Amino acid sequence: MRYIPNTKTDEEEMLKEIGVSSFNDLLKDIPEEVILKKTLDIPTLSEEELTEKIFKISKKNLDFRFLKPLIGAGAYRHFVPEAVKAVISREEFYTSYTPYQPEISQGNLQSMFEYQTHLSRLTGMDVIIPSIYDGASATAEATLMAMRLTHKNKVITSSLLHPHYLETVRTYTAPHQTEIHIAEYKNGLSDLKSIESMIDENTAAVIVQSPNFFGGIEDIESIARIAHEKGTLIIQVIAESLSLGLLKSPAEMDVDIIAGEAQSFGMDLNLGGPYNGYLGSKMKYIRQIPGRIAGETTDKEGRRGYVMTFRAREQDIRREKATSNICSNHALNIVAGNVYLSLLGKNGIKKIAELNTKATHYLRTKLIETGKFSGFKYPFFNEFVLEVKDKERIKDKLINNGFIPPFDLGTYYPGLEGYMLFAVTEILTKKDLDFIVNLLER
Amino acid sequence: MKLIYEKSKKGRHGFSLPEDQFKEINLKDCVPRYAKEKKEKELPEVSEVEVIRHFTKLSKLNYGVDDGLYPLGSCTMKYNPKVNEKLASIDNFLYAHPFTDEKYIQGSLQIMYELGELLSKITGMDKFSLMPAAGAHGELTGVLMIRKYFEDRGEKRHKMLIPDSAHGTNPASSAMAGFKVVEVKSNERGGVDINEIERLMDEDTAGLMLTNPNTVGLFDENILKIAKIVHSKGGLLYYDGANLNALLGIVRPGDIGFDVLHLNLHKTFSTPHGGGGPGAGVVGAKSHLVEFLPSPIVCTDDGKYFFEYPKKTIGRVRAFYANFPVLVKAYAWILSVGGKGLRQVSEASIINANYILAKLKKYYKPAYDRTCMHECVLTGREYKEYGVKTLDIAKRLMDYGFHPPTIYFPHFEPYAEETIMVEPTESESKETLDEFINAMIKIAEEAKTKPDLLKEAPHNTPVGRLDEVKAVREPKLHA
Repeated sequence: MRYIPNTKTDEEEMLKEIGVSSFNDLLKDIPEEVILKKTLDIPTLSEEELTEKIFKISKKNLDFRFLKPLIGAGAYRHFVPEAVKAVISREEFYTSYTPYQPEISQGNLQSMFEYQTHLSRLTGMDVIIPSIYDGASATAEATLMAMRLTHKNKVITSSLLHPHYLETVRTYTAPHQTEIHIAEYKNGLSDLKSIESMIDENTAAVIVQSPNFFGGIEDIESIARIAHEKGTLIIQVIAESLSLGLLKSPAEMDVDIIAGEAQSFGMDLNLGGPYNGYLGSKMKYIRQIPGRIAGETTDKEGRRGYVMTFRAREQDIRREKATSNICSNHALNIVAGNVYLSLLGKNGIKKIAELNTKATHYLRTKLIETGKFSGFKYPFFNEFVLEVKDKERIKDKLINNGFIPPFDLGTYYPGLEGYMLFAVTEILTKKDLDFIVNLLER
Repeated sequence: MKLIYEKSKKGRHGFSLPEDQFKEINLKDCVPRYAKEKKEKELPEVSEVEVIRHFTKLSKLNYGVDDGLYPLGSCTMKYNPKVNEKLASIDNFLYAHPFTDEKYIQGSLQIMYELGELLSKITGMDKFSLMPAAGAHGELTGVLMIRKYFEDRGEKRHKMLIPDSAHGTNPASSAMAGFKVVEVKSNERGGVDINEIERLMDEDTAGLMLTNPNTVGLFDENILKIAKIVHSKGGLLYYDGANLNALLGIVRPGDIGFDVLHLNLHKTFSTPHGGGGPGAGVVGAKSHLVEFLPSPIVCTDDGKYFFEYPKKTIGRVRAFYANFPVLVKAYAWILSVGGKGLRQVSEASIINANYILAKLKKYYKPAYDRTCMHECVLTGREYKEYGVKTLDIAKRLMDYGFHPPTIYFPHFEPYAEETIMVEPTESESKETLDEFINAMIKIAEEAKTKPDLLKEAPHNTPVGRLDEVKAVREPKLHA
């Protein structure tokens, strides 16, 4: 077997050194009756056979490389520079373990620190945990964190929180007697009055996603004010982190905790994972935030270096008293995100965010102009909702012409069966959008 | 080395921006006043060349499996086959949007389904969820299933038994799932104390989380008795699959009484660790727990693959479905080694660990002096009298060009203190092991004769030992 270097002779020599006469002598702790008598019935393929098999299976998918999505809903196809892939294909990054030995892990640790800096500058938050698994689990962790900080067990979430995020929050909080109240929405945005009416003295946090699941840009600052006046924390969820290139940062709006998804920063769609969940908070909450974080320090000679820090929150030290069980996360995505944001820089992220917004607004305007679509009007980033007659025909038309159709809101929003959630990124050119308008007009 | 921010110069960038063809759209009309940014986001300004050189330089400060032996105990740092990387990034997989209609992603679903079937065959479980993103995530999923199982039966069981040798994630996951953790002591042979289990297992206890082989590298010889006690009191047995690398083709957890388990595809199944993820912590269930698996799972009928939503599911533990490329790599690995190869993997990993144990036990007293499975646990106790800590031994190993083993874990009194947990995996040749063994013997000698050399180690790394206390006292968490 090509992945095992030792030969039969090597093994015999080693068994001799060990002091046993056969391999089976090493299994004497295992009850005889449960040891498998037969080889597992699994074929062995050569590298060429394996490659052929998997390529053939992949052909049963559509040719996604050349299908442009008009869909986002928490997973966005943005352009990923080849430089990102080149860096994360370096063995030093992808074949290393968690940086428990900082002296030979400065590559990973400094990269974590740099990415924390990027996200801190984009969000304004003092503390950034650069990788929880994904946006949904990050939101669930943020919810538990808020409950620990306040010793309260009621949370209010906007109905425009990503449905998968909400389901994950429900799963994580199920054992903790958590009351989850869902605030209403009005015209594509959370209804502030509904949120306000639900807050009481037992409320740990208000959870609002912005841009919300409909792409709507929420008035987080006002929601934060309402929450704080009533002594409640506010968690902002950011499922499309590219929006941070254009919009006011969570810190500027006095948000306490953020839970984000940074898939848009250089990560491919991959059928939904691995993406890059992250958390952020004000400094005063650091001891209750879960997940690994890098900090700067020095060695004895004063040389600068980075270590994993505030480790007393973690499971390997605190066991059942830890802030979470999380250890392995999506660390390689940190490197991808770091490369992506470093390439973009200050102007790049702004321009791409602007381009997304403009292209999205262009498409909506043009679709409305056809007279065949209608929908509520609200401020949005790179997604919007329209009422679509003849949904199935439109889906077929789009897929047959090289576009993945928009998200069908009926899936999660009873009453919105006739509505679709359109997403536009820089992948779609003006020519594409004009083609789509033309196609859907007919 | 400089931070990327320290290389920034106004006006540079490393991105090819598509042209803005939407001049007629006025940005001011798009962003409501309340969301307009006041402060610009100060990201660094660097060209693509500088970015590539920066990260190449950074990468060289890291140590990966492709650089050499990486004997971290309980981490299974085996070789990550190159072909698997390529297969996981086939365009039709890479660009698949998670909300595409099932009929358009039949290839991806087939891989998910077949991987689940292969894992069932290997472990003796009935059905897998591929959703959890990491081992701890899988544990949380598994214990939430246990919780739901008892809820469904109308039983209130609020305690979970966990051995003192368990990974820290076990108690942490149980606590997250709302269980009170009850610690079970290890016995003098390195297994769990069966009398303790007998005493502690009652009708308020949901079950036992067990790693087998455990973290001292030993297969619990009482496993069948343990399973019997737990089940006779109506409890369930959870298998922490972090150490499955010892059992492939030898024993199946499903055959020795385990009801639910997680596997780390990034350990036993060769997918790379990525500097701490992404991996996958898939969860397998016996038939009586299948309906509680997280939703959705992949099923098949008449040659078609589709998502199904288990009736009493615990719900979702993340968005979408799984860390898909990780699944492709594990699938590719299983088919590359095959049934026969799986057994060879475990045999080689067990022989390698025992070889290290046999050669080093004279120098580093083992926690338990018995033949081990795929990892061995030594200790650095004897060098304390020279003022040398286990940490110093580990740091000195770096000067010899090796990644150190896991240290100070497991930790429980009186057997496992100052531990050095070595897991060589099947990927290492006898020659590599001999080099490692020689280095460890030299270090043992140095500990006695030149202890300061160890206390000051490492000497040949980009930075020396870093001040972790300062990192907490004067926190600097971003530039």
